[in-house]
Amino acid sequence: MGSRAACDGNARLKMVDMLIDDTPQLIAWRQEVRGFLDAELPGGMHFDFDFDEDPDRWALYRAFWRKVGERKWISLTWPTEYYGLGRSVQERYILQEEFCNHGVPAHPVIGLPVADAILRLGTPEQRRRHLKGIAEASVVWGEGYTEPGAGSDLASLTTRADRDGDYWVINGEKTLGTAAHWCEWMFVLARTDPNSKKHAGISAFAVPLNLPGISMAPLRNMADGQQNVTFFDNVRIPADGLIGDEGQAWNQVWFSQGGEQLDPPGPAPDPWLYRLQRMVALIRRFVRETRRGGRLLWDDPVVRLQLAELEMGVEILRMHTRENYSNVVTGRMRSGSPILVAHLQQAWYKEQWPRMAQLAMEVVGPMSQLQGGPGAVLHGKIEQAFRASFGNHAGGTSQLKRMVLATRGLGMPR
Amino acid sequence: MAIDLNFDEQQQMIRDTARSFFDQQSQIHLVRRYRNSEDEFPRELWGRMAELGWLAMGLPADHGGFESSFLDSFALSIELGRSLAPVPYLENWIGSRLVAEVGSDAQKAALLPGLASGELILTPAIIEPEGAYGACGVRLRASSEGTGFVLEGEKALVAYAGSAERLIVAARREDGGLSLFLVDPNSSGVSLERTPNTAELPLYHVRFSRTKVGPEDLLGGEGDRSTALHSVQMRAAVLQAAMIQGAGERLLDLTADYARMRVQFGNQIGKHQAVQYLVTDMVIHTHNAGLLALNAAWRIAGGMDFLREAAFAKAAASRAAHSVTFASHEVHAGIGFMEDYDLQLFTRRSKHWEFNLGDTRWCLEQALAA
Repeated sequence: MGSRAACDGNARLKMVDMLIDDTPQLIAWRQEVRGFLDAELPGGMHFDFDFDEDPDRWALYRAFWRKVGERKWISLTWPTEYYGLGRSVQERYILQEEFCNHGVPAHPVIGLPVADAILRLGTPEQRRRHLKGIAEASVVWGEGYTEPGAGSDLASLTTRADRDGDYWVINGEKTLGTAAHWCEWMFVLARTDPNSKKHAGISAFAVPLNLPGISMAPLRNMADGQQNVTFFDNVRIPADGLIGDEGQAWNQVWFSQGGEQLDPPGPAPDPWLYRLQRMVALIRRFVRETRRGGRLLWDDPVVRLQLAELEMGVEILRMHTRENYSNVVTGRMRSGSPILVAHLQQAWYKEQWPRMAQLAMEVVGPMSQLQGGPGAVLHGKIEQAFRASFGNHAGGTSQLKRMVLATRGLGMPR
Repeated sequence: MAIDLNFDEQQQMIRDTARSFFDQQSQIHLVRRYRNSEDEFPRELWGRMAELGWLAMGLPADHGGFESSFLDSFALSIELGRSLAPVPYLENWIGSRLVAEVGSDAQKAALLPGLASGELILTPAIIEPEGAYGACGVRLRASSEGTGFVLEGEKALVAYAGSAERLIVAARREDGGLSLFLVDPNSSGVSLERTPNTAELPLYHVRFSRTKVGPEDLLGGEGDRSTALHSVQMRAAVLQAAMIQGAGERLLDLTADYARMRVQFGNQIGKHQAVQYLVTDMVIHTHNAGLLALNAAWRIAGGMDFLREAAFAKAAASRAAHSVTFASHEVHAGIGFMEDYDLQLFTRRSKHWEFNLGDTRWCLEQALAA
């Protein structure tokens, strides 16, 4: 029965096409992006803002993104009246895929989701005011969502924003703000209706981090990055710091609903693909070049299986991004994939990251624990990737994704 | 007598004493204090352990030791693991056993009293940068020259070498045999470089460049020592497994407490089966590894063959070292990723222990070969 149905389904498909660069224009565009990256970053840029505190590398990273901004490639698909080029989703996807393939880290922190929210929900004045800095990469935005009591259960947040004449007054505590100390602005979710519960009564605010009443305490993570606790003590921001409708941020910001779609939605290859692709490429090189116990690791059957597992993992992640891409460009979905597939992808990625990092450590063996110095393998990059893999919970744990996949995706009883 | 998997009174007393000792003396702030520390370990704590006789257990009575079952060291190791005590216990255990079992009378008289009293640190330098375990991985050359020898090669992951009076260096002889040499790390021709690592332990890369050693430094004289070395290392692997068990039990407590306390979506997260599976993974892995280690320890204490059981014990423990910390991170999520929280100390140390003295794959191969 099952296989018969599957056959019928296949028969109805006109053609399965894995090709993205299906026009001369797109082929030429990919070449242009590659040319830029080859010229700007001949050796790639191996930087991950979640896990790096080196000021020199931060400076190089921000300078690089300003160069991307000069070409208006950050705002590639935005309307021309808001610093964009009005280009297609396909071109944006190709650009981001090439960035991944060149080992280029993601755009700083949460600039792109903030730009999406402001393009959709902001007034023309708010758009003019905030989008230029994001498009030029001159202003970096941090995340002000998570609180000590509101992690996976974000809707239980308690930070308040109270109206006082022409101002909003923010009080509360945000935590685990990745790289917040490198940011100029923060996109803050706060409760504007003190009597509201859960998802209702939450609003979004654009908050400059240099205001009186804002203080930060560092939280070092175990992979050499810094997250932060940010305290808001009677922080006053002008009334137009509210982005979107009062009390509607859960749907408008968290679920990206509503507003005018000035930037065509669509998925992008994520930093996680970049991270794992890069880690596995390093392991492949190591296995091809390294001898242990008198033979090349490439000739060790156990190591071969481990390497193949790792490469299959990357292949699946790559196909997840292409699956989302296909759904958008064929018009099947507005943004990416159905909730079932979206949660499947996230659960899979979140579970695979630490698994693949551990497998990589096992391939390298005891020397994998060295972070540098003589004997360290691949300059300790696998070791760093192992520690970083415990950051897989960001955006919600894999257990949460599985619960949503089971209940909302598969209709299991709640 | 019926089968009894419980410690006898002596071992239980050691375990209880060690539990309260480390609870008082080696709290987690001490572990933090010795992360990447210049002074490699707390000498005061080490001295107190020596006063309790823990460093002399099982060493010959005429050289400062006293008779003691392997199970005593095993019981102590569980607690060393539980406390993450930052001391060179296992290194010194291997060093003192090698001296006691293959050393000449002169070597024993010179080294064992200091090892038993804690005044002397001996650390093994076995594994090389290629990362191959066991005697086959030893390629450092020892060539005869005059009455002595010349060493040429490199060792990696040598723990506490900066504090050690002597390294026990495994070397390959012209005839292909394996010899052990006592080498002063401060002697000419030896250079140490500390290598930063996941566990933040004092691990060194050691280069031997035309290093001259005398005939008196050949541990136990001529003859291949690979069997003796393997035997000591596999017994040490069982103690390492005990440490993994102890750390796993403590991490289980920490994680189960967190799952009971942390509320999200109006419920304690421990109510969710997804979280219950993770917490139970921790207890299953720790328990099973502990049982295999106990079996190996019992065989060692009784003078039976133990290589197969020890290999299984460390294979399971190496797997547990990873699985248990992984599950704990899954339960803790954000907070567990932070340096301020104690979980990462377990994660870091467990990574060293997982690889130390054989990873899962190598140990499984040893079990089949035994």
